[in-house]
Amino acid sequence: MEESNLKFIIAAYSVSWLVILGYLARLVRKGSRARADYDLMSQEIPGGGPQ
Amino acid sequence: MSSKPDDQLMLDSGLSSETRTAPPPRTSVLFGFIAFAALIAAQVFSILTSPAEGDMGHLQKIMYVHVPAAWMAFISFFVVLAFSVRYLWQKRENDDLLAASAAEVGATFTGLTLMLGMIWGRPAWGVWWVWDARLTSTLVLFLIFVGYLALRAFVDDAEQRARWSAAVGAIGAINVPIVYMSVKWWRTLHQPPSSPATLDPAYTMGLRLNAIALLLVTIYFIRKRYEIARLERAVEHLAEAAAMGGK
Amino acid sequence: MAWEDDWRRVRAIAKKDLTTELRAKAGFNGVASLAVTILILLGLALGPDADALRNAAVGAVWLATLFSGVLAFNRSFQVELESGALEPLLLYPGPRWTIFAGKLLANFTFVSLMVAIVMAAGIVLFGITIPARWPMILAVVALGVVGLVVLGTFYASMASRSRAREVLLPLLLFPMLVPVLLAATTASKALLGADLMHEAGAWTRLLIGYDLVFLIATFIAFEHVIEA
Repeated sequence: MEESNLKFIIAAYSVSWLVILGYLARLVRKGSRARADYDLMSQEIPGGGPQ
Repeated sequence: MSSKPDDQLMLDSGLSSETRTAPPPRTSVLFGFIAFAALIAAQVFSILTSPAEGDMGHLQKIMYVHVPAAWMAFISFFVVLAFSVRYLWQKRENDDLLAASAAEVGATFTGLTLMLGMIWGRPAWGVWWVWDARLTSTLVLFLIFVGYLALRAFVDDAEQRARWSAAVGAIGAINVPIVYMSVKWWRTLHQPPSSPATLDPAYTMGLRLNAIALLLVTIYFIRKRYEIARLERAVEHLAEAAAMGGK
Repeated sequence: MAWEDDWRRVRAIAKKDLTTELRAKAGFNGVASLAVTILILLGLALGPDADALRNAAVGAVWLATLFSGVLAFNRSFQVELESGALEPLLLYPGPRWTIFAGKLLANFTFVSLMVAIVMAAGIVLFGITIPARWPMILAVVALGVVGLVVLGTFYASMASRSRAREVLLPLLLFPMLVPVLLAATTASKALLGADLMHEAGAWTRLLIGYDLVFLIATFIAFEHVIEA
């Protein structure tokens, strides 16, 4: 009984970390792309954004 | 596209042109590290120090993630509600962006809560799913989040998207307690209540630590997502400014 | 005086919507036919055992109503969208809530007619014996239709103007209707039987509360949502 429950415990923690790290990776990727776009745009637009 | 002059738009959104295109502050990477370190520490501590229980063995350890994830889902949900209402009241673009960020994070945690609920439920109850009040209202909450995010994906005009999301977010929020109540009645009148997963007091310390750690992670996620949302919006504003001011 | 003007506007909008729908070729007939077709398919999928069908009857009627209802709600805004009449309607003097109220009246009439047909079909196809308490069942159904129409009209005012309206309206609407579905089906089932646990009263009160809460909430929210 306990051994088969171990399977579920491992599954639970694996799924949790997959989801959390997966979402983190998505945010990091999106974040660097957004920063890059922003830096590019604010250079192209004279007078756009703070000087 | 709206026919209002640009100055009127700026005044309406409550922001000067500088703030609309100013870069949002960077979310602290250090804070992110601390949050994740805290989460690992809390989980290691709880797993090692909590006792085995009855014939379920160590199964209750899943609760260390499942319960805080559910709490984070509901906290995110309240953030969506609060900033949706605030947006309808003050029409400040950043409020809408924050609500949307909290919705995306909330949807992620709600999905995780459901998956962990099923992974716990299979050995505990013998089935992958039961239509009990908590699981079912969490599922409905998940669908409400999904609907909110779908609405945002299918509306192109930024101001309309903000107003509609805020209305949908607020009205969806009102429904969640009603759904919980109705599913509870629906169950109790026809079957004995399924024994809820109440935790042994030996687990509370670990649960609290995990909850605090996961809260730090949630705050980090929401801030990072909000930073991205503001960057993307700032790029749109810059593009508009270029289109109008150019040649 | 202003109240009379408002009320007149509400009736005018309701009348316009209803006549457009009832005259349109694919309007009421199409939606009602679809509802009955769905009911038939449900009968085929859940039958042929007579007991199983009788147990499934209430749920089947409500599901057929829900799925066809979403068509009706999107259509109630389609007319203005296609002819570009929404902006002039908004510019016309008069409070916005009258637009919402007018559409609510029209949709309520439309859906009630449809539900009557679906219930008749359900009684025949699923082998229901009409109990003595049938007026109470009608009351429950009416309250359920109110909830359906209020939220359906509200979400359709947005979904109909977005991309992917066919998918967005059910996606937004159906999670919101969970309490209505549970309350209406459970109360109806109880009333069709003996209602041993006297639950129909409690569910009816839930429906009334739900309808009131969302009637008020959607009226308030409609102002924010109807701007073009």
